[in-house]
Amino acid sequence: MKSQPLSVQPPRLAFWLVNLFTIPDNAEAIMGDLLEEFSYVASKSGVAHARRWYWRQALKTIAHLIYSAYRIAPWSTASAVVGGFLLPGFVIRFLGFPERAIFAVLEKYQVPDKHFNTYVFFATTGIDIGLVIVYLWVGCVIALVARGREMAAAITLCLIFAGMDGVALFAFVASGHSLLRSLLPWMFADSFAILIGAAIVRSSRSARRIGSDDGLENPAL
Amino acid sequence: MAGRDYLGEFEHIIVLALMRLEERAYGVTVRQEIELRTQREVSVGAVYATLDRLETKGYVKSYRGDPTPERGGRSKRFFRVTAKGVTAVNRTQRALQSMTEGLDILEGYS
Repeated sequence: MKSQPLSVQPPRLAFWLVNLFTIPDNAEAIMGDLLEEFSYVASKSGVAHARRWYWRQALKTIAHLIYSAYRIAPWSTASAVVGGFLLPGFVIRFLGFPERAIFAVLEKYQVPDKHFNTYVFFATTGIDIGLVIVYLWVGCVIALVARGREMAAAITLCLIFAGMDGVALFAFVASGHSLLRSLLPWMFADSFAILIGAAIVRSSRSARRIGSDDGLENPAL
Repeated sequence: MAGRDYLGEFEHIIVLALMRLEERAYGVTVRQEIELRTQREVSVGAVYATLDRLETKGYVKSYRGDPTPERGGRSKRFFRVTAKGVTAVNRTQRALQSMTEGLDILEGYS
């Protein structure tokens, strides 16, 4: 296939997402293939069509990569998901983070007596932020465990927690309680934080890999 | 039972595409060859997931080409079918032929 060097760029988000979900060994070939075909489609059918084509290919490719992660290494990927599912409970219930830690600090510096508004902030929003940090850390941990399949494990865990949040929210509203809209972002922020944590680990691994690749192999068959 | 290693439907299609393309077989050409001949939209991810599986089974081998500018300086990953892969294709092909022999598929089951 003949195509020119890249003058137009594919959608950045789609490009980043494919890179995130691709197994390191395949990243160069898959990203290169998509770029090559994108520039070909753009020169043949226009940039708008090429961008739509790229998004379609990116989403299908991501779905296949998640599926193949479970097919290639079902046990290690599933173990990372189960571990990631149990980890927040352990940290929050047994270690008491962030609630116990925040209240201990507030009490130590006598914040309730001296700065009541600050105390209220940390006792409400502060705990929510602490929980997001816990889930961010969980995302990092499962990405470290599920090497090469970081995002497949993280997105599964994210969907499980988001699904549980959704069911809890539905049950809460269905039982006659009024919905506190200010709580909504915090509910789903936990699940999203898992993805962010895993993406941070995956991106740093990719960066390190690119940095350490001092030459391309071209082994003879 | 001897010779159990039959190819799955998509594996079969991919190996046949590699055999057609010979030394030009890499992700883009394989995907386009399949789309052209089967009129079926295939994603790059599906092609690589299957090629990886075939490589693990020893049916195909891959090697890297040179980086090119239209690929943003990324190299191609070329594939070729191994002798074991050719045997698996033949076996699968024979099994399919044997199963369809005597069946008037187009008229009887349309």
